[in-house]
Amino acid sequence: MKSRHSTARVALLAGLALVAGIPATLTAAEIRLQSDTLVRGMARDTGTGKNQTVAPGYEYLQIDAGQLNEKGVSFHSYGWGRFDFADDQFFEDRSEGELLYGYLQYADPATGLDLRVGRQNIVAGVGNDAIDGLQLSSDLGPWFVVSAYGGQPVGYDASAGRTGDSIYGGRLGVHQGQYGEVGASYKMLDNNDITVEKTLGLDLALFLPADISFYGFSSRNLESKGWAEHSYELRIPVAAVNFRPYFGQYDYAHYFGTGVNTVNPFRALAISGEKLRVVGLDTTVKVSDAVDLGVKLKGNDYDQMNASRYASGFAAWHAADLTTVGVEIGYMKGDLDRQKYLLTRVFGYLDGVAGPGFISGDLVWARYDQPIYGRDNSLFVSLGTGRTFLEKALELKLSGDYSRDPYFNSDVRGLLAVTYRYDHKL
Amino acid sequence: MRRLLLIGDIKMQKKIAMVLPLLLSLLALTACVSHRADWAPPLQHPADAGLTKRPPICTDCHKAKDENFNWQRFNHDPYFGDNHRQQASQSRVCNMCHQQSYCNDCHATRVELKPSDKDQTATYRRTPHRGDWLARHRIEGSLDPTSCIRCHRNPKTSATCVPCHG
Repeated sequence: MKSRHSTARVALLAGLALVAGIPATLTAAEIRLQSDTLVRGMARDTGTGKNQTVAPGYEYLQIDAGQLNEKGVSFHSYGWGRFDFADDQFFEDRSEGELLYGYLQYADPATGLDLRVGRQNIVAGVGNDAIDGLQLSSDLGPWFVVSAYGGQPVGYDASAGRTGDSIYGGRLGVHQGQYGEVGASYKMLDNNDITVEKTLGLDLALFLPADISFYGFSSRNLESKGWAEHSYELRIPVAAVNFRPYFGQYDYAHYFGTGVNTVNPFRALAISGEKLRVVGLDTTVKVSDAVDLGVKLKGNDYDQMNASRYASGFAAWHAADLTTVGVEIGYMKGDLDRQKYLLTRVFGYLDGVAGPGFISGDLVWARYDQPIYGRDNSLFVSLGTGRTFLEKALELKLSGDYSRDPYFNSDVRGLLAVTYRYDHKL
Repeated sequence: MRRLLLIGDIKMQKKIAMVLPLLLSLLALTACVSHRADWAPPLQHPADAGLTKRPPICTDCHKAKDENFNWQRFNHDPYFGDNHRQQASQSRVCNMCHQQSYCNDCHATRVELKPSDKDQTATYRRTPHRGDWLARHRIEGSLDPTSCIRCHRNPKTSATCVPCHG
């Protein structure tokens, strides 16, 4: 137990020592702040047999300070908090919150070295987690890139505390700008001194002639000793058309099997013995600057279940700025009636209304071949508007939505969002 | 006493086995930081590059690939939001335009608001879980649950699953 604790402690101390050794040339330092305040309003039956108003207010706060426009020392943090103003029965706790990240970063101006200490997200091959700890990444000469991280996983801190929680791993890549990159990665994650994940990953990016690219990712569960996933895809551009054929293979025992800590509903999947093979093709067509088209085709084949298929089409028209009008329609055909649905969506966003304003709209309608809780269709409608003030430092957005679906007979919700941005050079 | 010493040795060996890779990486990095790559992306995309509010098509300005980089893979076509997993491994490129908080709208340790609720008016984005997702995920999840666990993997991120799935 102590040894696991020591991992995070050693990682943090090593990071702090390194940061302390960095010449702190805080030239051109600045501080940026963004506050997003959201107030929602809706009605819910909170167990009393009648609808009660629920009015949670959310505050998302992001603070960045230091050398933000050039490489150097900087600090970054982001988190949210919520308080239910109207009723304390809908949420388990009336107030809630989470620090999503808060780290000190050093990006070396002369090299590719990037050092981060604190709460942060890591993306390194099989590593895709939030950690409290240290992360280092750097180019090693013109051909190699390396990243290493260690600390405690944030996602397990509510599971019997943090004692015995640790995570560490890294990725080594070999790259050549014109031809691609090959990488190998490793992750070890313990929760309460029990190994949750011990994974090896291999990733591949090959840049072929005619601007064709080939990407791949495989991961092996070293605990259950089996390949969890193989995902490979091609990107083939032909004039204004882009084809993306892809293939994936998943062995549920190794993909979902993460020891006794596997959370539901994935625990049941891990012991199901199922294997899934996915074959698909995404096609996009850039007809012009103003028109995009897309088609998705996907087929799932299983060892145990019968096959399922999905097809959808997409069209969007664009004008100035973010002005967009689009439509999407898709059909899922599972083996059983309860696995079939038709999905349609029409959306619009009109930018530049009365200067810095906008109007947005969204309509989603779905039909299920077999009713869910007695209803075989659903409707979702959303309308919104907003505008910026004070040279875009302040933004107000107001929106409302209505849904009628298997879970809600007739649900109306409102949202007021106030965004404030502050930037000051020190 | 000897048994205690042995247990102590095992613990020490485990500790060393865990910390050693990190320290070796640290040493390697420290030794090699002077050996920079020929090219690395800047911290931020040049502000005078004429980027608009629309999702960028990188190859409008960059070659599909040059001696440094493959830009084509970062073209934000209509399905980029669905298929950016491979590109996200190149976070240095993403970070030129997006801050971590942008990614956290969807990929976060724990958030209560799904992305289409937090930014409800951004209808031009194909954000996941929009509309009737609560009903539709019964179908999607039974046919291909592999993408679910990528986000709802640990006790915190699966907190939204537990009330129904136990």
